[in-house]
Formats: sequence, C-alpha cells, structure tokens
Amino acid sequence: MEEFLHTFFDLDSIVAILPVLLTEGLANTLIISVSAVLAGLLLGLVLAMMLMSKLWIVKVPARIYVDVFRGLPAILTISLVGLGFPAAGIRPFGTSPFGYAILAVGLISAAYTAEILRSGIQSIDKGQLQAARSLGMTQFQAMRKIVIPQGIRNVLPALTNRFIIDIKESSLVYLLGLSVGQRELYFIAYQQQAVTYNSSALVAAGICYLLMTIPLTYVVNAWDRRLRTGRSRPKAVPVPSQSTMEVVS
Amino acid sequence: MSMMAQDAKIDASEHSKGIQIRDVRKSFGDTEVLKGVSLDVSLREVVCIIGPSGSGKSTLLKCINLLEQPTSGEIWVDGIELTAKSADINAARARVGMVFQHFNLFPHLSILENVTMALRVVKRLPAKKAEEIAVRQLTRLGVDTLSHLRPADCSGGQQQRVAITRALAMEPQVMLFDEATSALDPELVKGVLDEMRALALDGMTMVVVTHEMAFAREVADRVVFMDNGQIVETGPAEEVLTNPQTDRLQNFLSQVL
Repeated sequence: MEEFLHTFFDLDSIVAILPVLLTEGLANTLIISVSAVLAGLLLGLVLAMMLMSKLWIVKVPARIYVDVFRGLPAILTISLVGLGFPAAGIRPFGTSPFGYAILAVGLISAAYTAEILRSGIQSIDKGQLQAARSLGMTQFQAMRKIVIPQGIRNVLPALTNRFIIDIKESSLVYLLGLSVGQRELYFIAYQQQAVTYNSSALVAAGICYLLMTIPLTYVVNAWDRRLRTGRSRPKAVPVPSQSTMEVVS
Repeated sequence: MSMMAQDAKIDASEHSKGIQIRDVRKSFGDTEVLKGVSLDVSLREVVCIIGPSGSGKSTLLKCINLLEQPTSGEIWVDGIELTAKSADINAARARVGMVFQHFNLFPHLSILENVTMALRVVKRLPAKKAEEIAVRQLTRLGVDTLSHLRPADCSGGQQQRVAITRALAMEPQVMLFDEATSALDPELVKGVLDEMRALALDGMTMVVVTHEMAFAREVADRVVFMDNGQIVETGPAEEVLTNPQTDRLQNFLSQVL
C-alpha cells in the first residue's frame, strides 16, 4: 500500500514538478489546443458548407477530407504531418515542431467539427432561410446572420465534446520531440516518470487536464442554458394589444 | 451584362406596376405542381388565392419572390422581370414582403432585432435609423411593448404581427401572405386578419393565400381558385364565392363554408 501511494501520490515529487507543469506544460497545452480548436472551427465551418453544397465538385473533396481524417488514428496523422511534412520539405513553420503539432490536431479536429456543424446547420428549419431571403438578404448574409448562429447553438454540447478531445489529443504531439520550453503537460510528466521511475508527475499532469476539461463542460452547459432561455432578460408576460384585440365587425 | 440589363429596362416599360405572372410552370422532380399559371395583379389590388391543399397556391406565392424558382415562365414585379437572368433578385425581393404560415421569426434575435436585421444588412441603414423605423412600425402594429422579448416569449398572434412588421419595415411594393392565420389559435386569427384588412385599406398590393373565406369575400378585389396546379376560376370575390361556375369550385366551397 505504501509503495502504491509512493508511486502515484508522492507529495515531494508532485511539488517538485508542479512549477514546470504549470508554467511550461499547462501554457503549451493551452496554446496547442486552443489554436487547434480555432483552426478546427474555421476549417470545419468551410468544410461543413462544402458538405452541404449541391455541386459534387465542391462536396466530394470535403467528403473525402472528412472520411480520411476521421478514419485515421490521431497518432498517425500527427506523425504524418509533424514528421512527414518537414522531411518532405514542406516547412511552413520552420524546424520547430510546435506549428506542425497545432496544424495536425487542427486538421483532425476540423473533420469532426465539420460534421457537427453540418448537422447543426441542417437542423435549422428551412423557413428561417426563406424568411431571411424574402427580406432581400443574400444567401451568404442569411447563412451568416440567421442560420449559422442558430445551428452552432444547437450543437454546442457536441462541439464542447470535441474541444475536450482536442485538449487531450494535444498530448500526442510529444512524439514530435519537443525541446525544453516547448513541452506540454504530458511530455513533462512522461520525462519525469522516465527519470525518477515514479508516476506522481503523471498524476499531477492528469489533474491539470481534468482542471481544464471538467469545468469546460459545465461552463458551456451554463452558457447553453442561458442562450436557450434568452439573455437574462425578464421573462415575458404576453401583453395583448388593445387596438388589435377589439372586435371589428 | 449591361446590354441585358438595358433590355430588361426597355421591356419593363411595356409592363405596368404590380405583378404579372406569365405561364409559370414548376416541377419538383417528376411532379408538376404548377401547370402553366398566368395571373395579373394590378397596383393596390388585393387578390386572394383559395383552393384545396396541394393545389399549388403556396408554390405560386413563393414563385412571386423567387423563393421557388419557376421551371419556366415569366414573373414581373413592379416592372422588373425577376425571372430574367440579369435580374438582381435580392434587390427585387426586398421590395416584395412575405408573411409565412409559421411566422418564421428569427428565434435567436429579439423582436426589435428581428425587424432591424434586414434594414441594417440589406438596406445598410445605421443602427439608430433602423431602430427608429422598427419602433415606428412595431407601434403601428401594436407590438412595440415586445421589443426586447424573444419570439418564443410571444403569443402566435403577436409573432405574426411582428412578422408583418418585419416585412413592412422594408417598405415593400407588394405583400404576400402564405396562410398567415392557419397556424394561429382561433381567438388570435381575428387580430391578424384585422391588420391585413387595414393594410389593404391603406392601398397595399397584396396576394393572399388563405382559407378564410369571410376575409376573402370582404377584403379581396378578386378571388382566384386554384386546383391541381392551375387557375380554375377567377373574378370579383362576391361573384366567385356565391356563384361558382365549375363543379370543382362548388365542391371546394361546399366543404369549407
């Protein structure tokens, strides 16, 4: 029992690694996952619009993209992008693995996000688009102002789910060989485990992940509830308008 | 492009204001729902379209502002051919207001924002000016007290009045009503019909698809009876409704009256 506690919950080890975990690891994990989430949302939205196109030449490439990136193991995609691109001379981010890590996680995220957004947008009644168009809005204006905001609201829980997965998948970029200063949570804990043969650092890293992922769920749920019930506005009391309720014979 | 636009202008002079529908056909897949419909609506005229469900009334109405693209035929509104390739459909639509059976208000926006949205996005008015217009129109329809509510917090009758406001705020030349009272609770129907009547008295050109025969009889200058994708009978409201010439209209009237 003592051995178990020492291996996983050694307070000295945790205290020793905590400053590095928080200042370097947590910061880098946040940078990678937040950037990847934003890239995924942006590319995902473009892909979602392409998936809904009537033109096969627009639709098919998006379909292929989604099928491929959803179908591959994340670790393989991260290796292909992070190790393969620089080796092939495709070096938009120089030699630092950081940019490739963000790109890889973002590319994976986009495939899932595209399907989530597509289902959200398609859940919006056709009458919304018709009403917007009947007022003279262009297709683009109607999508941007009316349909997409409602569609995203409908799939907030599913998007949150994806963001949590992105945060967790950001740990896989360790295999690209991050140098000191670039390391994210998992890699720091992993190195510590290798050096000390003690898993307490991994437990500490795990707690850091939970501190991000669990509150995120609750924050988004609360936000979602507020959007559904209206912006903290007073609940309506329907006021029948006198002039129009009168009986005109 | 400019040549075509000019041609459209020259043609336009031969067409009066109001609406001209010329031999419009519309198919969904293999089903032809409009089988060559022609109809003229003059300025300030109120035309009610009646007929059994599936007769093509709503589709015809949606063709008038090109929410449905006719398979063939011509549609002219206010002297402009909407079915011409060179037509600016968005500009034309802004001049044709439409009110839907299920209101189709934007649920994520407040009542005020529902009305200001198109004023800002389509007419590019500054926020303040758009709000002025919206409040004025909402007051006219008696729903200005709802400005800061969401549509879901309003009754069906209130929502439909907001929908009418939203369309009127764009200062349309023509108003289209697609069974505007069909989704309302019975006690709310009258209020909305009263607004439509007031609009007609104001001289608005209106095409109204409706099941409200009393409204058609009282307000419409002309009643059009559609069945099976065609116009079967048309004429002054009183005449068509009290003295139907065809079996089909007689049949229909005996079922709805």
